Amino acid sequence: MRRVFLANNTNELWDMLRQYPEAAIYAGGTDLLVRMRKGICDPSALICLERMDCLKGVREEGDQIFIGACTSHTALLADPIVQRSFPVLAAAISRLGSPHIRNMGTIGGNIVTASPAGDTLPPLYILGAAVEIMSMDKTRRLSLADFIRGPGHTDLKPGEILAGVWIKKDQPYNIFSLEKVGQRKALAISIASLAALLRVSGEGIIEEARLAWGSVGPTVTVSKEAESFLAGKRPEPGALGEAARIAMDAVSPIDDVRASKSYRRLVSGNLVLRLGASVDGNSPQPAWLPPAD
Amino acid sequence: MKDTPLEIGRAAPRFDAYAKLTGKEKYASDFYAPDMLWAGVKRAGVPHARIRWIKTDDAIRIPGVLSVLTSKDVRGTNRQGVVRKDQPVLADDKVRHCGDPLALVVAEDRETLAKALASISLDIEPLPGVFDPENAMAQGAPLVHEENPEGNLLLKGSLEAGMGEKGFEECDETVEALFRLPSQEHAYLETEAGWAIFKDDILEITASTQSPFRDRYEAAEAIGFDMHKVRIIAPYCGGAFGGKDGITVQSLLGLAALNNPGRPVKMWWAREESILASAKRHPARLYYKLGAKKDGIFHALSVRIYFDTGPYDNLGGAVTALGLEHSGGPYRIPNTSLKAWAVFTNNPIGGPFRGFGVPQVTAAMEQTVDMMAKSLGISPLDIRVKNALRRGDRNPAGTTLTGSTGIGECLRKISASRLWQESETWKKASPPFKKRGAGLASAMQGMGYGPLIPDTANAKIELTQEGLFRVFCGVVDMGQGNASTYLQIAGEILNQGLSGMELVLPDTARTLPSGSSSASRTTFTYGNALITASKTMKKRLLERASDLLMAKGPEEMTLVPGRVRHIPSGKEMPLSALAGILSDAERTSVARYRTPSAKDSPTRDPNLSLHGIPHIVFSYAAHAAFVEVDTLTGLTEVKGFLAVTDCGRVLNPQIFEQQIQGGIAQGLGYALCEELKTDRGVIRTPDLGTYIIPTSIDLPDMESAAVELHEEMGPFGLKGAGEIAMNGPFAAVANAIADACGIRIFEGPMTPERVLGALEKKPSCQEEG
Ligand SMILES: Cc1cc2nc3c(=O)[nH]c(=O)nc-3n(C[C@H](O)[C@H](O)[C@H](O)COP(=O)(O)OP(=O)(O)OC[C@H]3O[C@@H](n4cnc5c(N)ncnc54)[C@H](O)[C@@H]3O)c2cc1C
Repeated sequence: MRRVFLANNTNELWDMLRQYPEAAIYAGGTDLLVRMRKGICDPSALICLERMDCLKGVREEGDQIFIGACTSHTALLADPIVQRSFPVLAAAISRLGSPHIRNMGTIGGNIVTASPAGDTLPPLYILGAAVEIMSMDKTRRLSLADFIRGPGHTDLKPGEILAGVWIKKDQPYNIFSLEKVGQRKALAISIASLAALLRVSGEGIIEEARLAWGSVGPTVTVSKEAESFLAGKRPEPGALGEAARIAMDAVSPIDDVRASKSYRRLVSGNLVLRLGASVDGNSPQPAWLPPAD
Repeated sequence: MKDTPLEIGRAAPRFDAYAKLTGKEKYASDFYAPDMLWAGVKRAGVPHARIRWIKTDDAIRIPGVLSVLTSKDVRGTNRQGVVRKDQPVLADDKVRHCGDPLALVVAEDRETLAKALASISLDIEPLPGVFDPENAMAQGAPLVHEENPEGNLLLKGSLEAGMGEKGFEECDETVEALFRLPSQEHAYLETEAGWAIFKDDILEITASTQSPFRDRYEAAEAIGFDMHKVRIIAPYCGGAFGGKDGITVQSLLGLAALNNPGRPVKMWWAREESILASAKRHPARLYYKLGAKKDGIFHALSVRIYFDTGPYDNLGGAVTALGLEHSGGPYRIPNTSLKAWAVFTNNPIGGPFRGFGVPQVTAAMEQTVDMMAKSLGISPLDIRVKNALRRGDRNPAGTTLTGSTGIGECLRKISASRLWQESETWKKASPPFKKRGAGLASAMQGMGYGPLIPDTANAKIELTQEGLFRVFCGVVDMGQGNASTYLQIAGEILNQGLSGMELVLPDTARTLPSGSSSASRTTFTYGNALITASKTMKKRLLERASDLLMAKGPEEMTLVPGRVRHIPSGKEMPLSALAGILSDAERTSVARYRTPSAKDSPTRDPNLSLHGIPHIVFSYAAHAAFVEVDTLTGLTEVKGFLAVTDCGRVLNPQIFEQQIQGGIAQGLGYALCEELKTDRGVIRTPDLGTYIIPTSIDLPDMESAAVELHEEMGPFGLKGAGEIAMNGPFAAVANAIADACGIRIFEGPMTPERVLGALEKKPSCQEEG
């Protein structure tokens, strides 16, 4: 029999963690329970964070927004701050799993799983997100890019949990784009994805670009080179084509049962070509974007 | 509402909907009891090996383990199968695919069962395997069944009409292609499941099955138990699609129960086990060559088809024969040379799956037709209309069509549809980086078992003491709604509403043998039997009531819901009162129906006839797919789909629509994403996270229409509707992709990766219209 504990607050949580240092913690369980069923891990006890209200919700603090780690994807999609300030994140979440997975799964779980295919990661990277990590006696903050060490690896130490994510409220971009390529439109693990934020001037010049690819490297792929190449250019086929070529060099995809390395590489570049359409107002959002339910 | 008499042709919710939606209906997997045991199987995990030793002593010592059985404990033939009995209940000498069962464990609970299964070790000597159907036929290929005189060949069939290959000499144009089609998983919601109990000398097995009566004798023979003491009960299946047309858990459960008398034993395969061990749609390789005259009239067809049947027959010969018979499509082609091979390999088992070999050949033929249309510069619609079969024609397999033949009407309805008429405008309005196209496919599906195996149903209806009509349904409802339709048929004839009817689901101890739920035969065959049984019942009731009420004769009498009425006087008698007066024998009526067989003999090969050639009743369909291809990702989205079906008279438009939409959905999965991948016999898509079936948002709105030609032989003019819709989507989508971007993907499914690969090889696509 495996024991399952439900912590209601941090005091209870630290107690449980002290008593059962080998326990696995989980929030929605949509990653952990799948791994347990497959026999990849077999923790002796489980500590569930689902009832820890202090780890849930979205709030403003000065020029920053804090998103609690245990906030479900469904709650994030319905949150007015997320909708208004981080549409690129909302767009990514709307393609994550399916309604029932989004009801259970949390942003914290998605981050700590640190999958190359984690759908919230590319938008969080380009939004410059930082994570807040909590343990019994201290709280620390570091950038998401530093937190994620590799596939399935984070900087989380024993006794620490992820408390949430900090994102700067006013982002200097006026265009966003999010595209996920999967084997189907829901319940699909990403084969390649691109999250993009652009600041485009009234004259149609890209002043600043932030790009991040998912599923085409051990962690999120960014390319300073492609970003700086696009700065000062119009989002036209020529410039986008060159940025696409840079992107194809920047990614380091693998072959798996879902797709080949070469397909992933090609699509990583091709998605850049579509950025022009987002600037034109031809939203790249697929018509089947699920309703925020 | 429930009292309104049921009527043929009226759209009505299915009878089983409420019980299923509220969870009241119990499937085979829903059984639980306090003293229930769990049974499970140790599977091989390697594709081909000689079994030296199965070490079970650790498992049997685990507390809570009741039995650990191997082939040595099987007292019967230890062989299962419908045509050829070659599949062991528990593997004895050899492992022939990764899912082969080696040991059966019975334990007090699931945890103990899992522990026991894990503790069994296998000493097996790996053997070189065969994984490619064409290589498997080469000299010196490793043999899957050493004792088979024909090496790795299960069945070879050939049909020839007119001048055969020589017909090509008279053709103006010839097109040729090789198509590769993937293995498809049934992916029913309810995995293989059931429970059994051996008590009072009766072995009772409740299973999720399509074929209880056949299972009864097959399982009895395999495990060595008197068939007359075996009872099989078949609740509604939570989906089956052909995957439960034969033995899955039945023999294993029988063995488990016989070894643990008095206690119920349950077996329920996990999804991974289901994918590993169950039969799938045969992967196929199809070489097509079609010849035509300048005006587009087809003149010659040559076809070579290889079906990979995996290690066992599992109706693979029959699937191959049906594919062969349908390989020329619903067209007049005077000269044909059609050949097919079913070949043993060490891949997963190939078996029955909605369409039964026809989806594969339709995918190939209908693409070949479009290739011909393109090279002759004729529209895909015109070339199909020109060559469409009519009643009285011989089909490409050489059978004279004596029944209703509506393919021409189906095509004409497509051409007149709004979707088709507006498709040119729609295509021109494609957004950036997208290409739009429209594609067609024609399809046909033969009904029933063919000439030799008696395609028979025995219907029984009873007037209960309570005055209800109880229909004893001998053929399974695996979700398609046929049981509902049986009530509708009896209700129409006896003028009763649902509240006046009862249903008994298949049970070898209560209902009469009526064959399997398969081959688009279920309602056709049982429905015909039930019509006779119901009419006999009606006649008898009216006659007896007329005597009792001192009427002039039965012509003055009529049945109304719950009663019988004397029309001139208005006097009524409750059916319960009538039932009280009748003897038991009078209260029941039984009737048998056997589907007639074709009078042609397109083949002299008795083996082909045994495997079902030829058929006499065919359903037809024309499908149109409207797709948008993303030139950056290769993703094909189906934006619209239109299916026009000729399956005779539609008895209940709701159930018909469900069958058509379900078939299209499964067909679109087959076309675009479903692919059971294997690597040297090992499945690389072992679960529903890697084996990709479409979700609701991957599917388009589907429009469906029926061409309701009356089929003389069918019950109320009906022909089968269960399979036909599966056949068209693959080719319709392939042809639409070709229309959109001028590429053809010769290997299915047409995944974004394959489409983008083809687009990349065709640099002109970006500019082309
Ligand atoms: C059918 C299905 C479809 C899916 N589709 C997608 C998809 O499209 N895109 C995608 O990105 N993901 C997908 N996932 C994965 C998963 O749903 C997401 O990653 C989800 O966000 C995980 O959240 P969770 O709360 O359920 O994680 P959990 O399973 O609860 O936890 C995951 C890991 O994070 C750790 N953890 C969780 N919370 C904390 C915390 N606060 N502090 C420290 N450690 C923590 C746990 O110990 C565990 O190791 C899918 C999963 C399933 C089952």
